[in-house]
Amino acid sequence: MNASAARSPAAAGSGVAALQSALAAEHAAIYGYGVVGAHLAGAGQAAATSDWIAHQVARDDLESMLRSLGTQPQAAAAAYRLPGPVLTARDAVSLAIVIEDRVATAYLGLVAVSAPAVRHFGAVRLRAAALSAARWRGTTVAFPGLPASVLRPGPRARA
Amino acid sequence: MLAASAALPLLAVTGCKGVGALGTPPAPAADVGLLKAAIARERLMIARYEAVLGPARADGHAAILEPVLAEHRAHLAQLRSRLIVPAGAAAAAALPASPSATGPGQPAAPGKPVGPAEPVVPASPAAAIAFLRAAEQDASDALLTRLGVAPASLAQLLASISASEATHAAILAAGANAG
Repeated sequence: MNASAARSPAAAGSGVAALQSALAAEHAAIYGYGVVGAHLAGAGQAAATSDWIAHQVARDDLESMLRSLGTQPQAAAAAYRLPGPVLTARDAVSLAIVIEDRVATAYLGLVAVSAPAVRHFGAVRLRAAALSAARWRGTTVAFPGLPASVLRPGPRARA
Repeated sequence: MLAASAALPLLAVTGCKGVGALGTPPAPAADVGLLKAAIARERLMIARYEAVLGPARADGHAAILEPVLAEHRAHLAQLRSRLIVPAGAAAAAALPASPSATGPGQPAAPGKPVGPAEPVVPASPAAAIAFLRAAEQDASDALLTRLGVAPASLAQLLASISASEATHAAILAAGANAG
């Protein structure tokens, strides 16, 4: 589910590379939610379906943003390597959390883009991914999308 | 001097290497102003949770509120770590008011100091939770509108905090419905 989009300096300001990375994460998320939904029933499956549709909408938005920048959106892979075997409902929920965390990190890449519309879209989608992740987790995190390695050591106040 | 130092703290996040992706360097004054405003809002939020947790601690909401409060303290610590001020002069202004009760050599309790004015929060636990939920949603929305002028690394931190606050609002809503 790793994205390795080509980067060119000319495209950096408009965020083409970051948009392609976010699109790659959405392609992977759509694939992953198919697996998640297949292992859940009832309310869990309904939530997975709702998230699956939301990721398809986001994918379509990213594709039109890339096309409007004169770039061909990258296609989805036929299959994606999952982080681990998905055999139970619990595995499925864990996969959903991993999916949302990766999507959140990909959207943080869009927030770094200077173009205001791209940055705002990234922030809004980051928030949506964080909300989905929190629903699957049942708890919240302090810094959705930010890898722990980039958080600065400091006077961390822990309860 | 401030201009040079304020441009330094750039956050490298996955897929973001090189200054090319970071856009035009912003005016440092806007950067510092944004940070200070974000710090002030986090302090206010922490003070609100502390005010609500005081009387409501026994009624079962602490299990929801305490982890959220801890995350706000983590937000505040990250924001403060990005505030670069010239040595000496303005540094004192960036720190919270030290509680006068703290003895010499004893570090101030993290997150404990609050502003001069205690925030007013509703007395009933249900109303207090609803108040916090609305405050979280407002804070999340407000941060989204301020991203445009921030340099890339600060925008990423503020966007992440905005997302975290939105999840706080959601979890408070879920907790209120369950309780």
